[in-house]
Amino acid sequence: MPIYAPTLPPRPEPGQGLPPAVVMLRFDLARVLRLKLGKFFGFLFVFILLVLCVQLYVKHLVNTSAGLSTFKPFADQLLSQGPEFQARLLHPVMLQVLWLQVALVGGGLVARDTLHRIRPLIYAHPVRPWDYLLAKALFAAGLPLAIMLAYVFLPWGLSLAVAGAAGPVWPTAPLLLVPAALVIALLMGAVTLGASSLAASPKAGFGWALGILLGSSALGGVLAAALHDHRWLVLGAGYLTKLWPDLLLGANRDSGPGWVPVVLATALHLVLWTVIAVRRTRPSEASL
Amino acid sequence: MIAFEALEVRYGATVALRGLTLSLEPGIIGLLGPNGSGKSTLLKTLLGLLQPAAGRGEVLGVPLGAPESARLRARIGYMPEYDALIEDTSAYDQVVFWGELSGLSQAQARDRAHEVLYFVGLDEARYRNVSGYSTGMRQRVKLAQALVHSPELVFLDEPTNGLDPDGRKRMLDLVQKVRAELGTSVVLASHLLQDVERVADQLVILDKGEVKAAGSMAGLRRMLARRYELRFLDPLGPALEAELAELGTVLEARNGLYDLECVASDPAAAFAWAQARGVVLVQLTPRHDRLDEVLIRALKPALGPA
Repeated sequence: MPIYAPTLPPRPEPGQGLPPAVVMLRFDLARVLRLKLGKFFGFLFVFILLVLCVQLYVKHLVNTSAGLSTFKPFADQLLSQGPEFQARLLHPVMLQVLWLQVALVGGGLVARDTLHRIRPLIYAHPVRPWDYLLAKALFAAGLPLAIMLAYVFLPWGLSLAVAGAAGPVWPTAPLLLVPAALVIALLMGAVTLGASSLAASPKAGFGWALGILLGSSALGGVLAAALHDHRWLVLGAGYLTKLWPDLLLGANRDSGPGWVPVVLATALHLVLWTVIAVRRTRPSEASL
Repeated sequence: MIAFEALEVRYGATVALRGLTLSLEPGIIGLLGPNGSGKSTLLKTLLGLLQPAAGRGEVLGVPLGAPESARLRARIGYMPEYDALIEDTSAYDQVVFWGELSGLSQAQARDRAHEVLYFVGLDEARYRNVSGYSTGMRQRVKLAQALVHSPELVFLDEPTNGLDPDGRKRMLDLVQKVRAELGTSVVLASHLLQDVERVADQLVILDKGEVKAAGSMAGLRRMLARRYELRFLDPLGPALEAELAELGTVLEARNGLYDLECVASDPAAAFAWAQARGVVLVQLTPRHDRLDEVLIRALKPALGPA
């Protein structure tokens, strides 16, 4: 037989807490940190980061060591130091892994609340729909951004530390890479948020996110082939994320689709998936 | 505390609540009705989750749909009918989360979570994930999250759902304790008459989105107290049966037994009536009716002839 407290203490003063979006963001973060996914993706991201750092160090050694000077032509060919090299700090392989991680984690952000019918209860608190969406969007975009920033600043710091301004990474590279990472993070966040809001379970959210990623690429491929214009490929969300670092750093200018299609396709994805997320997380939708 | 006038709520083309007009005072309010009668819809409308298609209303002095309705929800607690629990999280973490979401600081929410979980009898189990909880424990977590910020008004939607008799008793005890000790008004939506009858001091009966009956439980009980069953020595003829209306409303007549709701509360009037007409009244039995009979009568047109 439980022993009940005689009563509760007086009512506390409300309105002293953090904004609801921050409370929800922190709660989601704590939940995700408890998932076992973190170790798997952590290993992958650290491995890719290590490869990048080794590349940088080898490049530095080849440039500065007399004993390794015979390897310089080969190393220059392998480890280009132009804009392509800078853009590859946000490496395509890393971006693929990041998409997978964001789809797995972000796909469940809204879908988990749908599955357990948490959203009506959230809206029964002093939470406005945009508080909810902001919390989820901050998480969905903040997670990839934090990982990408590590890929920008660690190699940049290493390069500065071992070789100063003459190192393989331009001292000004973060000025261009951070905006690229920001756009990619927003794109990933919007897609996964839209996917998650369409799904009724975290697994379905992951499926939706992958489906959008692969489906948009397939659509872009079909249109590019049918219309004989490779610029249609930008409809693919995955392809877009690879294009942004190139575009901002001026790499692969001749082969790229150019600014206008990339900006338009990015805007299309951002607006489309955000509108879907907004519509699917309205209070009336939550209470049906 | 809660008032609405000609309130109408729709789900697309379907009218869920139709022309509701009501005023409710602080206390424990029983919201009674069969499944699908609009109880949950009414609670969600009062919380501002659904917008009225027509009519107006107010909760704790704030009009429905007003910009400040988001802040109003900090003064209200809501225990939903369905599970609404975050499975991979402990009861304590959840209640802290809901407390913070209601506007408490983290320190306050932590203190209150301990207290309120103790209050609902989950002190020992509060650090365990709710996925391992029994139905009764899950219901109590839901009640705890509704109370963590000490609301002025709490909506409990089917709080005894899925509970065994002992669990139901404990939950209803808690509901009474919430009103008696915390001074929080309670709106208890249920389709179980016994639950409402036991704890409520006001009653609203809903069916098909309409208010079928409303009033204080004391008033309803007074009305019930005027119900008698009469038996006469010989069956009454049609003329005398018609004259019975002078005594009150004949609710049912079968085999010489008349179920009567008297106009006056004094049953002696029935003997005087019988004496004046030369008939012998051999039995006058007070009907200790329960609330379910009131409900059945209120819903009778909707249910059709028995």
